[in-house]
Amino acid sequence: MEARTESFPGTLDSLRAIGAFTLQAAAEAGIGAHASYRLRLAVDEVATNIIIHGYTEAGRTGQLILSVYTSRDSLLIEIEDTGAPYDVESRRLPTEEELARPLEERPVGGLGLFLVAQSVDAFHHESVGPKNRTILAIHYHQAQQERGEST
Amino acid sequence: MGFEVSLRMSDQQAQMELSGDLDASSAGKFKEMVELAATRAPKRLVLMMSELRYMASAGLRVLIFAKQKMGTAAEIFLVGAQEGVLQTVMLTGFDRSIVLLDELPDTLAWNG
Repeated sequence: MEARTESFPGTLDSLRAIGAFTLQAAAEAGIGAHASYRLRLAVDEVATNIIIHGYTEAGRTGQLILSVYTSRDSLLIEIEDTGAPYDVESRRLPTEEELARPLEERPVGGLGLFLVAQSVDAFHHESVGPKNRTILAIHYHQAQQERGEST
Repeated sequence: MGFEVSLRMSDQQAQMELSGDLDASSAGKFKEMVELAATRAPKRLVLMMSELRYMASAGLRVLIFAKQKMGTAAEIFLVGAQEGVLQTVMLTGFDRSIVLLDELPDTLAWNG
């Protein structure tokens, strides 16, 4: 596996640069437009959660360290931060019933994590000591199938 | 790419042109525009989306806010959304409350 790493300040102003970093990684890995968009969306939602909940609301400051790993089968993006630990398991995703409700009756929370779960082929999150680590993966064969279906 | 939004209003309709990337850092700008439009109590919110390259959940939350602010009777139209944005809208079931259109029909065309 090869790795490329870049560090971003833990503020919302970094989201654009994080998006560009992710899209570049996707382009270098040769994955299609649809899978690239999904990966960018997932990374952006995770980064937003870290910045808002892990740093800003917790009164902390810090960095987001993004690393790209490519293997024969997958493109992985790892996001490391030192914000308040985020318990993914305790977060409730919107149910089918909630997603079918009219907008004005919708709960506003949980949409970001729902999109993360729907957008990547694998998602892993852990907090070890002062560090939180999130790994998002796109599998090439699934991205290729999508491309085949869309053409 | 930066996010831009512009608004024009008639008595019945608020129409916005969105372009660039709509994420958590830019959603505030969109929300302010929705608040401004809502003060005129339009019956329709028409969002021209063909130049919007990206939308995160922060953009979806502004759509929820728009519906709450403008009232349930007000209709929201998304016109010309790009594929990625469209997928997000449909994945989250927003297409059940919002009208998706490829192009602006004559009935909604601006005549102000």
